[in-house]
Parts: sequence; C-alpha cells; structure tokens
Amino acid sequence: MIALARVRVDAEKCVGHGRCYVLAPEVFEEDERGHCIVIEEDVSEALADEARKGERNCPEGAIRLER
Amino acid sequence: MADDPEDLPHFNLFSEEFSRCPQAVYREMRAACPVTRAAITESLVLSRYEDVAWALRHPEIFSSAMDLQVALGTERPMIPQQIDPPAQTRYRKLLDPHFSRRKMEALIPSIRANANALIDTFIDAGECEFDEAFAIPLPCTAFLDLLGLPQEDLALFLELKDGIIRPQKAQPDLDFEGAQRVRVESGRRIYRYFERIIEERLREKTPREDLLSSILSAEIDGEKLISTEILDICFLLLLAGLDTVTATLGCNIAYLAANPDQRRRILEHPELLPGAVEELMRWETPVTAVPRLVKREVEVGGTVIAEGELVTLLIGAANTDESHFPEADRVDFERERNIHMAFGAGPHRCLGSHLARMELCAAMEEWHRRIPEYHIKSGETPRYSPGIREVLYLPLVWER
Repeated sequence: MIALARVRVDAEKCVGHGRCYVLAPEVFEEDERGHCIVIEEDVSEALADEARKGERNCPEGAIRLER
Repeated sequence: MADDPEDLPHFNLFSEEFSRCPQAVYREMRAACPVTRAAITESLVLSRYEDVAWALRHPEIFSSAMDLQVALGTERPMIPQQIDPPAQTRYRKLLDPHFSRRKMEALIPSIRANANALIDTFIDAGECEFDEAFAIPLPCTAFLDLLGLPQEDLALFLELKDGIIRPQKAQPDLDFEGAQRVRVESGRRIYRYFERIIEERLREKTPREDLLSSILSAEIDGEKLISTEILDICFLLLLAGLDTVTATLGCNIAYLAANPDQRRRILEHPELLPGAVEELMRWETPVTAVPRLVKREVEVGGTVIAEGELVTLLIGAANTDESHFPEADRVDFERERNIHMAFGAGPHRCLGSHLARMELCAAMEEWHRRIPEYHIKSGETPRYSPGIREVLYLPLVWER
C-alpha cells in the first residue's frame, strides 16, 4: 500500500469531542475516556478522505495530516 | 491605546426577543468590537469564534470556578464544571469513561422506548404543547435511567430542577430575593435526596451497574471519592443534563416546524439526521453562553480585561461567525466542516455531549417516524425563554 498521508493526533489538544471517530470510524477510534486514537496512521487515498473529514471537523484542531 | 472597557457598547442578552432570534444580534455584536458589554449583568462579552475558543482553552485566565458568582443554590462548587484544571482533570479522568459514546449507546433503547411512551399519550389528539408533553419529560427519564433512579421520581426531579433554574415557573410573582430563597431550599432538597440515595447504595451488598454505583466504587489514583464530592457531581448532572437537552429538542423541532423543506429533507434522507443535529446545534446554540471569571489581566482584541471581571463567552455568536463557517447564516445539514462549540471546547467540554447527541438523534428519529408532518398551530407564536433558549411554548398540530 502506498501511504498518501500520515495521521497525527495531538493528545494534549484532544478533549474528547469525538467528532473524528464518528465521522471517520475506519481511521479513528475512542479510548476509554472517549479521546481520539488513530487506528490507521498511514492512509492511502480512500482513507485519506475519511481522515481529512476527521481533521477538518475537530473543534480543537488536534488532528493533522502530514504528507 | 486600548479601549476603555467602560465605553463598550451594551447588548441585551436576556430578553425574550433576543432568545427567539439571537442570530441577528450576534452579527451586530461581532461587528461592533471584539469585546462588548451585556446589559443588566454588565459582564463583558466575547462574541468572535477565535476569542471564545481561546478563552475556553485557557481556564487559567478565564476560570470556570465561579460557584460564588453564579447563584444556583449550591453549597459547594459543582464538580467538575466549577473546578479548573489540574484538580478538574482528576475528576474528568474518573467521569469521562462513564460518559463515553460506547457507554451511552446502551441507554439508547430505553430512550427510544421512553420517547414512544410519551408520543403514545398525545399522538391521537393531533396536537400537543411540545415543551410540556415531550421536551421536558424525555431528558428527565433518560437522566433517571442513567443514574439508576426510579422513574417514579420524575415529577420530583422536574420540581427540584425548576426550583433552581426557573423558580418563577411555579411562582410567577417572585422577586429576586424570593427566587434566591427558592433556589437555596431546592438546593438543600437536592442534596438531601442524593445523600439518602448514596447511603442506600453504600449499604447494598451487590453493587448495581448504573452510573451512581460506578461513581461510588470508582477510584482515582487509588482513592475513592468522598460523599460530598459525589453529591457535587450529582448536583451538576441534574442541573446540566436536563434543561440543555429540553431546550435543544425545542429549538430543533421549532426550526423544523417552521421550515418544512428542511424537515422533508430529513424525512426523505434519514441518513442526514446526525448532520442535521450538528448543524442545528450550531445554528440554534440553545446554551447561548457560558460565564467565566478573569483570573489575571488579559487583552482581547485591544480591550484590556481586568482581573475579577465577569466575562460571558457568547458561544452562539461564535458558532455563527463567518470567519469560521462559510455562509454561516445558511442552515446546511451537509456542512462539510462544522467545528461548532455548542458543547464548549477545551478542558470543560460538556461531559454529557455524547449522551446528548445520541439522545437528540434517537428522539428526533422516533418523533419523525411517528409524526412526520407537523406545524405550528395557526395564529400561535412559539415563546423562547431568556437565558438557555428553552421553547417554553411550542404548540404543534398534525393530521390524526
């Protein structure tokens, strides 16, 4: 698989809104407290769109997609 | 030179008119200057997205520890809302797992059942007053289920929380002091009720599986909570968990009753409902504002705010700020990026946000399944309460 982007979450910024794992459940999941965990760090095209949804809808700006 | 906070423009945020349609006022406030003043309370008001978000993320400057400033009949700060990090973090670590999306999912079947039981009582009449018939009782039944309390206590809970939040509801002639007396007395009754329940639970040999029992046995860093801490959590759950969902249900259904094209979109495309709930949270923002106490001098957009000032973070205005929401005045259920702060932001993000979101989706789904076509009774106007935007009067009619 050719990775298109690397998904990063800043645990210091995440406060558990949970938008990412609701909108992009294939890329993100919740930890015990409801904070974000990245399941797929390196995402190819299809998942990159999902990941971007999570990134763009995080009210804390805690998610970054690195190319 | 920085503006003198004394000369700031004033806006009345406590009128019925504002509550009915706050979005136009929000626009005026954002355009006026970054910091304005609220009439009546004289608190400073932040209304731009960036400023509100920054303040919410900096509790060391904009503190939420203001139990003495906000008179709600409490004897101690409510936990964790009126306590700031780092002490607050300890409580959130303990409570967050009990309010996670995964945990809350288990409550959805009973919420659906409760919603249907309520609808059963009025569907054949072809009309209802939505607040009294549905929006008020539903969140309360969910709250009782969550804590593991008997549904027979529903009426008592409604009375107690109104005694704190809207003392004038039962006694319209109360003046401020009179209302304060009712608040304090209701507060005492809430403490006593939960003291009794907690004692009963502690005596039980086999722990139950509900939230109250979980909190009673939970440990943070090897320590259990003491009973006053548990009381202060219960007090918050009662005050924060009922009116907010009531108001949101009312605002959402009032919007959909008045905008039949949007309502039909949801009926034709049920998959849009979660997005609709998010977008209506943004547009309506039923909890229009949260208060904060300034702990040290800070400058916001050229205005110096002194230590000790009360500040209103106008979340509704932030949520309709064009700089963060393109076409902010358009209600778009498919908004590509919706970073609204209707549940707050930063460390005090609403503890119940996952429950609220699922509860709203489930309730609205059941409502529209049973009563897809409805409108506001002709000749009538919905009435919105000042403060939290509860739609106190929402007469709906539908074909029987």
